[in-house]
Amino acid sequence: MWDKKLLKNIDYYLLISVFLLMVIGLVMIYSATRNNYALTGGDPFALVKKQLIAAAIGVLGMIVIIFSDYRFPDLIFQILYGINLLLLVLVLSPLGMEVKGAKSWINLGGAFSLQPSEFAKLLVILTLAKHLADKEELDSFWDLWSPFLHILLPLVLILLQPDLGTTLVFIFFFFVMLYIAGYNRRFLLGIILAGILALVLLFVSHYYLGTPLPFKQHQIQRITIFLNPDRDPTGSGWNVRQAIIAVGSGRFMGKGLFQGTQGRLGFLPESHNDFIFAILCEELGFCGGFIVLSLFFILIWRCLVIMQQAKDKEGVLISAGITAMFLFHILENIGMNLGIMPITGIPLPFVSYGGSSIITNLLAIGFVENIWIRRQKLLF
Amino acid sequence: MSGLNPFMIRKRTTLLLLGIFGVIGILIGRLFYIQGIKANYYHGLAEDQRLRDIRVEPMRGTIFDRKMNTLAFSFETEAVYAIPYQIKNAQADAKIIAEKLNLSEKEVYSKLTKKTSFVWIKLKPAPEEAQAIKEARIPGVEVAQKAQRFYLQGSLAAHLLGISGIDNQGLEGIEKYYDQFLRGIPGSEQAEYDSKGNYIPMGERRFIDAQNGASLVLTVDQVIQYIAERELEKAVVENGAKRGAVILMDPMNGEILALANYPTFDPNRYAQFPSAQRRNWVLADQFEPGSTFKIITAAAALEEGIVRRDSPFFDPGYIVVEDRTLKCWRAGGHGSQTFVEAAENSCNPVFASLALRLGQQKFLQYIRAFGFGEQTGIDFPGEAKGIIPPLARIKNVELATIGFGQGISITPIQLLSALSAIANGGELVQPRLVKEIRTPDGQDVLKEFSKNTIRRVISKETARELATILSSVVENGSGNRARIAGYTVAGKTGTAQKPGKGGYGEGRIASFIGFAPVEDPKVAGIIILDEPQGPVKYGGVIAAPFFSTIVGDTLKYLEVKPSKSTKEHGPNSDENSVEVPNLLHLPKKEALRILSEAGLTYRELGAGEYVIAQNPKAGVTVKPKTTILLYYDEESRYGNELSTVIVPNLSGLTPQEAEKTLKKLGLKLAPQGWGIAHQQIPAPGTRLSSGATVTVYFVASNE
Repeated sequence: MWDKKLLKNIDYYLLISVFLLMVIGLVMIYSATRNNYALTGGDPFALVKKQLIAAAIGVLGMIVIIFSDYRFPDLIFQILYGINLLLLVLVLSPLGMEVKGAKSWINLGGAFSLQPSEFAKLLVILTLAKHLADKEELDSFWDLWSPFLHILLPLVLILLQPDLGTTLVFIFFFFVMLYIAGYNRRFLLGIILAGILALVLLFVSHYYLGTPLPFKQHQIQRITIFLNPDRDPTGSGWNVRQAIIAVGSGRFMGKGLFQGTQGRLGFLPESHNDFIFAILCEELGFCGGFIVLSLFFILIWRCLVIMQQAKDKEGVLISAGITAMFLFHILENIGMNLGIMPITGIPLPFVSYGGSSIITNLLAIGFVENIWIRRQKLLF
Repeated sequence: MSGLNPFMIRKRTTLLLLGIFGVIGILIGRLFYIQGIKANYYHGLAEDQRLRDIRVEPMRGTIFDRKMNTLAFSFETEAVYAIPYQIKNAQADAKIIAEKLNLSEKEVYSKLTKKTSFVWIKLKPAPEEAQAIKEARIPGVEVAQKAQRFYLQGSLAAHLLGISGIDNQGLEGIEKYYDQFLRGIPGSEQAEYDSKGNYIPMGERRFIDAQNGASLVLTVDQVIQYIAERELEKAVVENGAKRGAVILMDPMNGEILALANYPTFDPNRYAQFPSAQRRNWVLADQFEPGSTFKIITAAAALEEGIVRRDSPFFDPGYIVVEDRTLKCWRAGGHGSQTFVEAAENSCNPVFASLALRLGQQKFLQYIRAFGFGEQTGIDFPGEAKGIIPPLARIKNVELATIGFGQGISITPIQLLSALSAIANGGELVQPRLVKEIRTPDGQDVLKEFSKNTIRRVISKETARELATILSSVVENGSGNRARIAGYTVAGKTGTAQKPGKGGYGEGRIASFIGFAPVEDPKVAGIIILDEPQGPVKYGGVIAAPFFSTIVGDTLKYLEVKPSKSTKEHGPNSDENSVEVPNLLHLPKKEALRILSEAGLTYRELGAGEYVIAQNPKAGVTVKPKTTILLYYDEESRYGNELSTVIVPNLSGLTPQEAEKTLKKLGLKLAPQGWGIAHQQIPAPGTRLSSGATVTVYFVASNE
């Protein structure tokens, strides 16, 4: 399989921007955790090391994927879908580990744990792409039942954890994939509007008629705080407020690398994870934030280019799903750091701390590169 | 490529790309809004929540005397404070703190639970106590550097310097008047705290240096001040006066050389003294001047040409003004006399007639020109103005009495300024206490106060003429006890009756005012003794001798060349003078033995076995038989009329009568024997604090 042509055909824009984002991420993880004794246990590099190990595993996996062909036989897809469901069920079993109210992890022993919902995103994208590509008809409302069922099973399992953020990622890439697959625009729009309407009705009846909401208390609180950020600055509004203070106090040039105070003094929790972008903006200022956003833009843009030039419908849909996944993560995570999106605990791709997340994202890049190498015009 | 329409893909991809542009654009826009437009606002919020200010107190300025000797200065000491809302467990913390600082747990607990952002726990902890608190690392409890005021010379010039409080605020005296200069500008130390309110020891630190207060150079000379206080103390104690005061001034430029009150206090522990005792009454209270005011009458009359030094007068012993007969102090009067002799005799009818000849309007004009009825402008808080009756209320009788100093209220400093105008050739000069404001280290002058002439009051000729008349008062008249060996002295005695219930009472204010040398005056001074208790209460008898010693010693200290031969008679001849021995900490008996061997007399004050203070101090040269004051306890050192009484003579009284007499004074009787009082301990005239016991020996009467 080794071929010099193969290397030549790799999209380096994508790889370099991913590489740079990971480097920035490692530096910021170090900055955010080096003084946090509770997290590092005394070794300031503890989390950086774990992240590096995960990144190394991810890169290996990515290379394997680049040199294989994304057009696996049907059986492989069926097995992958099965493994996915199995892991998601395992998380909910006593083997699962609960952290901050969500049962999202499986302990692998020692300091390592697995977050199956991260992998689930990629696995669902792959199997859904295959499913949609195989479908002959995709025009009427009734053509939707099988893709919907396809995504519903893992979605419900994730909602049970509960992990609202990841659920939203699923919904987002599901609709983007349907859209790219050529599904009737009017129907699509109708479904989205109906969904929004249902949510609104749910809330209205909750506030006026007292009907129960299918959300946990902290989830409702996050929405309330998003709508009224100054409502409870020392309680549930604390995180958003501290994130914005961190970003704003960085000003144009930042306080200097490792000179940030919001994370180090414990004002901003989860500063190595959900709020790493705020810490980055605090230390590196608008310049740092702008560079990171530019790198993400390059990443998304390359993904779109690759999608356009994919050899077949399956390739188009895989890259569409992956693009959508990245896009939603970036929008939601950075948006919540800047106070324009409600808080949901989803990480910033390649930058936030989290092994399952970085491995999944690297594997996703592997698939995109794979599709690029086997694009239409340069067959070999 | 089943179902895949390249055209549709392209179209939808473009739409998606536009959406992505929009999303990234919104994020960048938002980023720019927070970090660009609102950056300073959020930067401020971030600093507010992690940095806390600790005030850094500036060092209060030093106060120097005119020779740059330090009188008051501040030094750094440690102080323990708490920020109550940061205290997590007041009960437990109070216990630890109380233990480490030797305080009561209850007291510390009440401080820790106060609803305030700041509270001092202990102001001057021992170094090891402060260290223990630092090591205990109790959140919300800190050790700060705090400036502590120290008055180097103890009670010296206490009334003048005043006091400053624990938070560097001038409360009284010069400390108050010049507070804005002495105070300095506080700085701050900002320290970092984490979100839980824990202090970060290795965190960020910012210092804004405090600007120390400017230093003051007084016009007062500590040696002259010491001389004045020493003699004043003796004068008050020897005459059993309620209180006394001395002011010395350079008549040429208005610089105050000394200002003393007795009883005095120690500003280092001012809270232990009643505020009445801290009051600088010599500037704040007004009195009826009595005979010393005749100087003003004389000045006006001489300037107006109404009288000359040899103008003839006849005093029958009284003067009739309208329906009133005003008596001269001397029964039978002074008979035929010139004006100079009338001044020497301090003859009331003569000065009454001068006032009448001047008339209300003219006389009042001079009184006001000499500065009476308004503040002298001395740089001291709370100066009194005195009272001049309004023109409409001054009928001839009132006019006549003002002529010899009754029916008008003045302050001693006004009188001294007026006298200085006569001494310096006719110009009223503003009295001053501060010469210069200097940098905190005292090296460079920031502001210099120079002579401030208010107005010319009388001509040079009149001033010179009056000076010679006043020198004659000392040379030949009622002020002869104020003579100083080797120097010419001009002055006037005063013995004012104190107003009591319905007219004048028994109390007197004995005073002497004068200047020397007459040809080239260097020092003008006033001494006042309020309510002397001795048999003689005349200012010429009890105040003048102390004026002589104070001004004489001052002139010698100032190295003013004697203008007369020192052989001349005078109370201060240097021949066979005695040096006062050091008696401090000696047992009573030993001290008394040394004094009698040295040919000195003594007066014992207070109860105790050892000498804790003496006046004059060791090393001072005095003439033989001078009385040395020996103090045996602290109370008597600062004792005054408020807390001490003079033991009356009880001889001849029955036990019942003796007990009644003592009870009135707040003393207790310890009777020995039976009959009538024969002997008593302590002796009559001794000062005792209230509640003390007098032992009286009674013997059976002969009848």
